[in-house]
Amino acid sequence: MRAWIGTIAVSAVLALLPGCGKDSGGTVIRFVVQPDAGGGFREIVDRFHNAHPEIRVEMVEGPASTDSREEMYIGAFMAGDSPYDVVLMDVVWVPKFASQGWLAPLDDRFPEPARAAFLPGDVKAGIWEGKCYRVPLRSDAGMLYWRTDLAGKPPETFEELAAKARELKTADRGGFVFQGRQYEGLVCAFLEVLWGHGGDVLDGQGNVVLDRPEGVEALRWLAGLVGDGAPAGVTTYQEEEARAAFQEGRAAFMRNWPYAWTKMQEDGSPVKGKVGIVPMVHAPGKASAATLGGWGFGISKTAKHPDAAWTFVEFATAPEQQKLLNAKNGAIPTRRALFEDAEILAANPHYPDLLKVLLAARPRPVHARYSQISQALQRHLSAALVKKETPEEAIRQASSEIRGIVGK
Amino acid sequence: MRRLLPVAVAALALFSAGPFLWSVLTSLKPAGELFRVPPTWIPRSPSLDNYRDVFEQRPFARYLLNSLLVAAVSTLITLAAAAPAAYALARLRLRGAALAEKAILAFALFPPAVLLVPLFVAAREAGALNSRLGVALVHAALNLPFAVWSLASFFRAFPAELEDAARVDGFSRAGVLLRVVLPVSAPALAATAILVFIFSWNEFVISLTFLTRDELRTVPVGVAMLSGVTVYEIPWGQISAAVVITTLPVVAAVLAFQRGIVRGLSAGAVKG
Amino acid sequence: MLAVPLAVGLAAGVGGVGDVLRDRGMGRAAWNTLVFAGLSVTLEMGLGLAFALLLNREFRGRGLARAMAILPWALPTAVMAMSWRWIFSDSWGIANDLPRTLGLMNEPVAWLGRPATAMAALIAADVWKTTPFVTLILLAGLQGVPRDLHEAMSLDGAGPVRRFLWVTLPLLRPAIALALVFRLIQALGIFDLVWVLTGGGPADATRTVSLEAYDSVFRHLEPARGAAITLVSGAFIFAVALALGALARGRHAE
Repeated sequence: MRAWIGTIAVSAVLALLPGCGKDSGGTVIRFVVQPDAGGGFREIVDRFHNAHPEIRVEMVEGPASTDSREEMYIGAFMAGDSPYDVVLMDVVWVPKFASQGWLAPLDDRFPEPARAAFLPGDVKAGIWEGKCYRVPLRSDAGMLYWRTDLAGKPPETFEELAAKARELKTADRGGFVFQGRQYEGLVCAFLEVLWGHGGDVLDGQGNVVLDRPEGVEALRWLAGLVGDGAPAGVTTYQEEEARAAFQEGRAAFMRNWPYAWTKMQEDGSPVKGKVGIVPMVHAPGKASAATLGGWGFGISKTAKHPDAAWTFVEFATAPEQQKLLNAKNGAIPTRRALFEDAEILAANPHYPDLLKVLLAARPRPVHARYSQISQALQRHLSAALVKKETPEEAIRQASSEIRGIVGK
Repeated sequence: MRRLLPVAVAALALFSAGPFLWSVLTSLKPAGELFRVPPTWIPRSPSLDNYRDVFEQRPFARYLLNSLLVAAVSTLITLAAAAPAAYALARLRLRGAALAEKAILAFALFPPAVLLVPLFVAAREAGALNSRLGVALVHAALNLPFAVWSLASFFRAFPAELEDAARVDGFSRAGVLLRVVLPVSAPALAATAILVFIFSWNEFVISLTFLTRDELRTVPVGVAMLSGVTVYEIPWGQISAAVVITTLPVVAAVLAFQRGIVRGLSAGAVKG
Repeated sequence: MLAVPLAVGLAAGVGGVGDVLRDRGMGRAAWNTLVFAGLSVTLEMGLGLAFALLLNREFRGRGLARAMAILPWALPTAVMAMSWRWIFSDSWGIANDLPRTLGLMNEPVAWLGRPATAMAALIAADVWKTTPFVTLILLAGLQGVPRDLHEAMSLDGAGPVRRFLWVTLPLLRPAIALALVFRLIQALGIFDLVWVLTGGGPADATRTVSLEAYDSVFRHLEPARGAAITLVSGAFIFAVALALGALARGRHAE
């Protein structure tokens, strides 16, 4: 019996020994990407291998959760000597990673004229302290979905949206759904309301201006909807909960990202052909705004093959590859010209509307300590939504915490 | 009392299996039925699509094999290292044994997430990245405090007279441990093995960061990689299917291990 | 094996200890963690003891019942937490549909959407998940309780309650101490479940100490603060675990 266990143990240990070093010494570059369910990234890498046989790209598929993938990068960077040459980054990572000195500036390789071909918001989000660290790959921005069969025309102001949401609410249909759980998505949703009121978190000099009257007004509007124009359960919603509710016909309006549009139009969707998109509403006399999301490539400062890494970044963000990623993974292009591309328009008739949203898109507060700022916002926005704090209190407290964080 | 027994057993089964059963039902629902309000209990049009998708989207059979290897090896290492240590703490009146025991406990206090970066550095220096054995060793190290405490407390409950008799019969300390203490401690070993095995089976953070090559990944990481085409989508149906797939091998293992608890009982009755 | 990385990680944290002790957000997180751990461990110990006693009796299908009792522990926390989010959903969750079907509730409740119910939901999910840990250890401990002792007392006319209090419980003390110590350590370090189920919300009502530590390291890139939090909470947990362990084991028993 014991001999038997011993045999198993030994053979298991042997089976587990790492494959002996297969590093052939060639140029290998690595990056972490979300699970490639559409297959677009794999095809880009294949195309690249055909065009540049001398460079091998190793694409590491990470977990679906953005946080987990950020952990993979951060863990590797903190340990020093990161194995990842190319960094596929969410917009909000740029100041954080750049201020740690983990990224190489790309100003020489990606100069002003080259940037002009891209959507302005996406470029702006890649800049930290005057230097550019990111080439945009796919764009993303929040917007308002509305039911064309229920509301005759889309609302334009916050007042109209609230009134319409209350009016269209029935026993089994909520009015307006958004991301109300205490997490990053809540900040994204709130910023659109804040900007639409003409307010902001930080001004151009980095001073906290959240506690101006616009801030309080914005939060009063959003928190006032919960349990009234918006279902009480919205305080637990992330993107998917909101989309499921809207798609099942259980909401008349929704704040969400563009991915939801594609899902709405799939066969079997109860709201197929009944959905319109517009930029988030605004206060009278103010402009609409959208929170910018999206992904782009940076290059690690410790990359062993920075030139090869750049060759790949340039290749992957070229128009043909963005088109491929659009067709396969539904990724929204970051190059302006592609919004007039006949093929893309044929597959995505809503893109002219979407472009309006993307042009109104703004990055979240650009600061090295954005994640602390966001945490303070999340805490007090959530408290206002569940009525633990009044909007005035929540804004006052969040502002004072953020002042402590930015030191101004 | 006797009549209450079936009721109590039913209550236990309902409590333990209820939420899991809900996952089973969810896993059988096609996409269109998932978000129905009010929810359907029994799927109207049950389908195995979610299961097919799980295996198609990710090499899940491979992940299952990797998890099994890592968990089995780390359980063996843990028990092999913990049993002598626990025995020494429980029986050999070593100087500073109480202190050592408390020090061992202290190592159990640090969550893997905090240890991650230093462990990552250590593993890289040791060349243990992308090695399932490396992960098994880390799991074993993380499990060791619990295993030592667990076995030590059961060894203590074991009557010392039997060991003294064996010593008189000419057994060495190691012989006593192997031939007398361990066989009679089967219930404790089985319980500890089950708990340690499952810990390793479910561990996420270390496996995620240490094993980046897809063919080496374990089940919990694989589940986290189930995804829709976009970042925001959550494939609830597939996740439920993955829950069911992940659990079945563990249930089988537990069914096998739990006999150890019964056997230990009879062994103890005969020898004691 | 863990000592070296630990030392590297913790040395960085010593300087931050003072700041962490003065941090107001930490106070809130510490309170949440204590409430969570206190309630969930108490419930788990009670339920686990009941289940262990039940599974120690002889009945048909006991093997299957034991496997079922362990089932919740066998599910990966992060994955099952997703399922719990689904279960507690205000519109398609069974935690709303079941009471509604039974006529106990008219309006759907967003269990995870209000501070008090979110904490209750968190505790419920944790009790479900970790009771098997206690059950299994106590069940193994029960194997060391000699049957003849029970029978002898039975002949003396002692009822089941007295037999439990005078024979079973004292002999079960080491196992109880073991389960208690390790459950406390795990509960006070709770992370995965909260992270997925509530993310610490709403309004920080379920934010725990380990969430603070995690955010410090990975979200805010302040590993020193993370290490300091771990150091402070670790010292606290260590003291509590030792004190309770000694209490449950009984000092004289050694």
